[in-house]
Amino acid sequence: MAEAPSVNLFQAIAILLIGYFAVRGVLSFFRSPSSNSPSSTSAASGGHRPAHNGSRVNPAHVEQVAQMFPQLNRRNIMWDLQRNGGSVQATTERVLSGRSLEVPPPSFQPILPQPSTSTPTRPASSQPRKPSHPDLITRYNLSSKVSSSAETSSSAATPSEGTGAQKRPAWSANKAERQALLQKRREEMILAARRKMEEKDKAGKAS
Amino acid sequence: MASSVASKRLFQEYRTITNDPPEGITAGPVTEDDIYVWEALIQGPEGTPFEGGIFPAELKFPKDYPLAPPTMRFTCDMWHPNVYPNGMVCISILHAPGDDPNHYEHASERWSPIQSVEKILISVMSMLAEPNDESPANVDAARMWRERRSDYEKMVRDNVRKGLGL
Repeated sequence: MAEAPSVNLFQAIAILLIGYFAVRGVLSFFRSPSSNSPSSTSAASGGHRPAHNGSRVNPAHVEQVAQMFPQLNRRNIMWDLQRNGGSVQATTERVLSGRSLEVPPPSFQPILPQPSTSTPTRPASSQPRKPSHPDLITRYNLSSKVSSSAETSSSAATPSEGTGAQKRPAWSANKAERQALLQKRREEMILAARRKMEEKDKAGKAS
Repeated sequence: MASSVASKRLFQEYRTITNDPPEGITAGPVTEDDIYVWEALIQGPEGTPFEGGIFPAELKFPKDYPLAPPTMRFTCDMWHPNVYPNGMVCISILHAPGDDPNHYEHASERWSPIQSVEKILISVMSMLAEPNDESPANVDAARMWRERRSDYEKMVRDNVRKGLGL
């Protein structure tokens, strides 16, 4: 009577242990930080991940993430980067997919980098603080086409885009041709929008 | 194997969206050598301050697409409550089900393999017209949209002109 339950108990423990080690890789993502301190994580994963400490996380990576998501705490960013092996992409995707970053345990005390910009608070002016993008005309190198299309549109009501523009095939079996067609459609879309805006400006001035 | 499924699917979507493009949308891979990075041009919806504008965005697809959704980032000045200051778009269709920390997004609105690039771009277009105030990615823009609508609209219109090089 006393023997049978003890065997079952051993079996149960063995199964639990095997199961635990088998799925811990899968579940590692969901582990709470309190159940595993950073040192035990690196020890248990057999050294395939270097044992990080706070200073091992590249400050440039932290800065990169912090600039993308000014609402995030740098300490949380460092913690996440440390846990995923320093992958900015993984952290970015995690934030973007809506999963909030874990709050690091109190023992995690990294050397926080100095924020490069003054403070990620509200900008004084209404302008968003971010690098300005080049406009589409510059980006697609369309300046020559802009001037020519403006002249055509002033002389003719509809700009001539070649005969049978509507019937032109959009898809081509040829890779290079396909690429060129896509490029052309992009340019036409931008130029058409620009022409329309210019005409609107003219109409606005005339009235 | 998984990546060949993804690239086949992306190629097929590329063909569909090329042959039958939705109104005001042009999209395709930046280069076919890497089918996982697309560029899309979205026209601003009419009757909104975005009207007349063309907004470029970059879509990056994961190797397990269509199981996981792509990310989308505007590569122009985009002042909108649901677009992060770095251009990243925050919209329910780009979130996989189960990744909803706020519990306000319906599962049907979220990403699933039956969605497509075309549906994403159409959703983003309607997002431009109707911001979702519940999940502001750009808190400043959201506040301006709520409290100072005319300033918001002016800012958007300025960006439209700037984008067209005017």
